[in-house]
Amino acid sequence: MNDLIIQQIANGIIIGFAYAMASVGLTMIFGVLRAINFAHGEYFMCGAFASWAVIHYFQLPYIISIPVSIIISAGIAVIISRIVMEPLVDAPFSTAVLATLGVYLILQNTTRLLFGGTYKFFSGGWLEMLTIMGVTIIEQRMVLIIITVAIFLFLEWMIRRTRIGKAMRAVAQNHEACIIVGINIELVTRFTFCLGVLLAALAGVLMSPIIVTIYPTMGEGMTFKAFAITVIGGMGNVRGTFLSAIFIGIVECFVAGFLGLQFREAVGFVALIIVLMWRPYGLFTLKGRF
Amino acid sequence: MKLSQIFRSKTGNRHMQFKMGIISSMLFIASLLLLPLLGNKYHLHIAILSMIYIYPALGLNLIFGYTGMLSLAQGAFFGVGAYTTALLAIHYGWPFWLTFVSSGVFCAVISLLLAIPALRLRSYSFVMCTLGLVVIGEAVSKNWVSLTRGDMGISGVPRPVLSLWGPGFVVSQVVHYYYFVLMFAILGVFLFYWVVSSPAGRCMRAIRDEETLAESQGVYVWAYKLNIFALSAIYAGLGGSIYVLYMTIVSPLIFQMYHTLLFLIIVFAGGAGTVGGVVLGAFLFVAIPETLRITPDLRMIIYGLLFIFLAFRMPNGLGPFLVRIGESFFSSQPKR
Repeated sequence: MNDLIIQQIANGIIIGFAYAMASVGLTMIFGVLRAINFAHGEYFMCGAFASWAVIHYFQLPYIISIPVSIIISAGIAVIISRIVMEPLVDAPFSTAVLATLGVYLILQNTTRLLFGGTYKFFSGGWLEMLTIMGVTIIEQRMVLIIITVAIFLFLEWMIRRTRIGKAMRAVAQNHEACIIVGINIELVTRFTFCLGVLLAALAGVLMSPIIVTIYPTMGEGMTFKAFAITVIGGMGNVRGTFLSAIFIGIVECFVAGFLGLQFREAVGFVALIIVLMWRPYGLFTLKGRF
Repeated sequence: MKLSQIFRSKTGNRHMQFKMGIISSMLFIASLLLLPLLGNKYHLHIAILSMIYIYPALGLNLIFGYTGMLSLAQGAFFGVGAYTTALLAIHYGWPFWLTFVSSGVFCAVISLLLAIPALRLRSYSFVMCTLGLVVIGEAVSKNWVSLTRGDMGISGVPRPVLSLWGPGFVVSQVVHYYYFVLMFAILGVFLFYWVVSSPAGRCMRAIRDEETLAESQGVYVWAYKLNIFALSAIYAGLGGSIYVLYMTIVSPLIFQMYHTLLFLIIVFAGGAGTVGGVVLGAFLFVAIPETLRITPDLRMIIYGLLFIFLAFRMPNGLGPFLVRIGESFFSSQPKR
């Protein structure tokens, strides 16, 4: 029993790491644009499908499919950023809801049109077992942990220390002042959005060997989870997102392990509603945005 | 007076505006009454679906178009209404009008409970919270197997029987259903019009345009929001009730995002904050894709493109645009 609990916590933390990587883009784009992005999970799905297509159609190894799918997602991100995200600067919030819902419909149904709506078997990844301190972990999960930690350290450094990170924080605070001091809001938006999309796609590629089956509507569930995670973490707060993703991951694993797998999808939103009743501004937002 | 001025003017000729509205709605109803003479069963089926979707779309229009709160919970209450009707009709054999009313009442009760967390939030948090209600509704309908039979769904909902006493008349043919649903649709639209043109409707618009100002002028914002959240839930629940009376089957698929998005596009594209635009939108965005028999994937892609186009180019929806076209069509002769 004790082993089981430790195993569930370990699983939850690992899943939480993946959720953190998938949803950090959502919180950053909210910080910069004040817009919620309903299409965010679709980039997760795009990453997974691009990787699957590379493995399935070209018989290339998984390690090559990672950079290829990131490049494909980057292409999609730049196009969508130019057409949809940059005009959203200073637009009313319902415009953002409508436009990103449109992107969500287009991406999901284009994928379905291209590859069919059936479940696909993802045959890649490193699936050897490792045992560390009595906890059994698949190698793929170790890879996921290492990459996520590296990425979040990089994000912390980038946001605090680099020029573009400072520009992002400035845009999150005040658009007009940014224009006065000569910060290109469109450029910052494009950079933030593309970075978020790349991280979501990378999370999709790294998660696929763990969830094994991929399907065109997988992004929808991820979007909803990312919403719950970002709101609980405080919209626009990268550290809060990281913590709340791990929190959601652990709760999900406990619910799946002790109540039943089918309740997993609703965990995020139940937690969201409880947190919103108690603290409408999120759990970790007191120290400001980013 | 120009047609567009009649439709849009705030201080203009109210009497004229009212008369134009009466005339156009009469013409529309007359053409709907005559539709069974022209169309085949398939066309009637599409028209029935469009008229059913008018209900939840009007609910969304009430809460978003008139009060300014973007709620995605319409899909949830649509499903709750459908399940309520199906369960009451199957397990207790209640007549359709009783299940219809009780779906509305049940949705109102649930919405009042859910309003407590939801209405404390604003803009994006409110959107996400209401979206959460749809996800939770789906999870409940899938997992409460003893009540909802899970993914298998509930089938064999009895068809509505119209009777004062005696055996009565069973609504079973498509044509019968057409007039049955048409009656409900007309009733719903006129009740909606009555609500939004009352002083309460003016308060709603005040809340939408400037909430703080409305509150300072003595509009009790919280009570209005609560009532409107409940009323929009009632509209969605009644729509779900008619849906299940027509389809005679309900499954957790009713909670999928497709319905929520369909209501959104009907309201946004038809013209949020108008009655005629939303009614027209229900026919345009349900009937046209069905009639053209576009595959669902392609249809959703087209909807997506339409969403992006509307968001940036036509934030007021198609309603005002159509009025402008109608104006240039009717007023070929020079004015005054």
